[in-house]
Amino acid sequence: MEQANATKMKRSFRPEGSLFLLAVLVIVFFVLDLFIGSYHISLSNIIKALFAPGQVDSQLVTIVRQFRLPKALTALLAGAALSVAGLQMQTVFRNPLAGPYVLGISSGASLGVALLVLGAGSLFATGAFSVMGAWSVAGAAWIGAAVILMLILAVSARVKDIMTILILGILFSAATSAIVNIMQYFSSESMLKSFVVWTMGSLGSVTNAQLQVLLPGVLLGLFLAIISAKLLDAFLLGEDYARSMGMNVQLARVLIFISTCILAGSITAFCGPIGFIGIAVPHIVRMALKTARHQRLIPGTILLGSATMLFSDIVSQLPGSESTLPINSVTALLGIPVVIWIILRNKTVGALS
Amino acid sequence: MSDSKTIKLNQVSVGYRDSRGKERIVKSNISLGAEKGELVALIGGNGIGKSTLLRTLAGFQPPINGDIIVSGKSIASYREKELATTLSFVSTEIIRVANLSVFEMVALGRFPHTNWFGKLTDEDRRIVNESIGMVGLNGYQSRPINQISDGERQRAMIARTLAQDTDIIVLDEPTAFLDVPNKYEVVSILHHLAREKNKTIIFSTHDLNIAVSEVDMIWLMLQDDVVQGAPEDLILNGQFPLLFQKSDLVFDMEKGDFRIKRRPKLTARLTGAGSELLWTQKALERNGLEMNNEADTEIEITVRSEPPCWQVRTTNGEKTFYSVYHLCRYLREL
Repeated sequence: MEQANATKMKRSFRPEGSLFLLAVLVIVFFVLDLFIGSYHISLSNIIKALFAPGQVDSQLVTIVRQFRLPKALTALLAGAALSVAGLQMQTVFRNPLAGPYVLGISSGASLGVALLVLGAGSLFATGAFSVMGAWSVAGAAWIGAAVILMLILAVSARVKDIMTILILGILFSAATSAIVNIMQYFSSESMLKSFVVWTMGSLGSVTNAQLQVLLPGVLLGLFLAIISAKLLDAFLLGEDYARSMGMNVQLARVLIFISTCILAGSITAFCGPIGFIGIAVPHIVRMALKTARHQRLIPGTILLGSATMLFSDIVSQLPGSESTLPINSVTALLGIPVVIWIILRNKTVGALS
Repeated sequence: MSDSKTIKLNQVSVGYRDSRGKERIVKSNISLGAEKGELVALIGGNGIGKSTLLRTLAGFQPPINGDIIVSGKSIASYREKELATTLSFVSTEIIRVANLSVFEMVALGRFPHTNWFGKLTDEDRRIVNESIGMVGLNGYQSRPINQISDGERQRAMIARTLAQDTDIIVLDEPTAFLDVPNKYEVVSILHHLAREKNKTIIFSTHDLNIAVSEVDMIWLMLQDDVVQGAPEDLILNGQFPLLFQKSDLVFDMEKGDFRIKRRPKLTARLTGAGSELLWTQKALERNGLEMNNEADTEIEITVRSEPPCWQVRTTNGEKTFYSVYHLCRYLREL
């Protein structure tokens, strides 16, 4: 009994501390992200611009409210969404290298957007990307993500080997890129331009109008993830065990994948494909919280994902005061060492779980 | 068969239906049953359909024909959650989830009993800790599941079924991958649970001598038939020896196990006593010598105990050896 109490103490004390620390980190990075930019604004002016816009120069208010705040919020949402999507996929596929980017979910979302912008766009001959409306772009990305996810799911029902599924994910990505390239070849110059701008997409390109779609989308996805925490736990032992414990596997999978598609699709729709956050963050959270239970992993993943993305955004603005690095490169450079470490730690990918 | 049986199979065929609805029957005409408090071993050769039968029992796939009655009710009429509180399952797969503690893994067994968010009440925690204690893993609660031995992990998997609190437990080869002490340990835990907790426990195994000595009933899957009975009944009525009838194995009535059929090339006369005699005989059989203590033989072997030595007399003369190994090497050259 003493042992049980000791276990209980350990369990209830440490993770909460780590979560608190992560929350502080998110707030610090969020403020830093507002503070850092090509134009120097003092911290007090930023606070004034946010809470008392009458007291500062209207130009400052515009910079803070129209550019920095949406960008920081987008980083916050993107980090949380991609990381939770990665966590869900790693658990459901029981594959430590699964993630929205690696398995081609982001590419699927890109294909959806490409079909909308280049295909439907040329039909209606409306050049400007924004005319499409944020909702239709998000919807196209969700559908694109769902199609690829269904394909991966169908394959993984037949093939159990982790490596095979990863390779197929890469092939799906390549195929969708090829289709997008062909569409680019046949599309008009103005279409092409608006699409290329999208593919280079950054956190900063998200407008307040798009944020109005992104925010509820991500919140809905995260809400679905949180309420499916118990189902994800059951998936840890595999589908047979999940079923033997009374879970409706089909229903659970649909619920979780709707969440994954909304999360990964929304971010890809407005920020373009961002890689490696989705793979790396869940692993660090599992290590830090020393648990596999999703009730704790999901909040941890949301916080660390947001912190990491805010940090990446800060890094992307550091080198020069004028230009910013592509966010995708920063997340890749941060995430890839973690992925390499996961592979090396387990020696062979086949033995991973 | 009375209706009091917790699990009862009536003329069941197990197998798979492919996507076009075509049936592939693995084994048909299965009629078996088990009572509360019984430990049942499912025995049969590789590929005869043991796993398919267990998966059908666990409700993963419907029987192709016939009906399975679980606690008085057809398995087809159970809802997922209802079946999960009646029957729990352990598969052959080795679970190696990183950062999952023994406590967390066993607590997953509470899945059908907890609310939508999976919140563990104090009662749930008590049951989980009690289950861990019942398989002798007290103190392992916070150990990661991928950092304990195979035997400990298998016991943790059993604890999970205890936490699930079901009348019936089905295990697919729980003793595979384990060393001999762990095999016995796992089976004796299962035996204890069947008796003390009045559970019906069904497990498949290839460890015949453990099954024969520990279980209440054997479900024996033969090439043309599926039969059941106490191990001793099946041995005495000659059904158990049919298990490997097409192979090179013979059933040893005295030891209750199978061994490789020998085709002796030479006959020898062996004298001696005690365990030295017994083990020398085994070695000689392995080396193609048949014991014959009446007729005149070309080889005469005398085993002495103090100190252990082996005297061999052949037409070539007499030799003395001080180990079975050297004796056998000499005999092989004859």
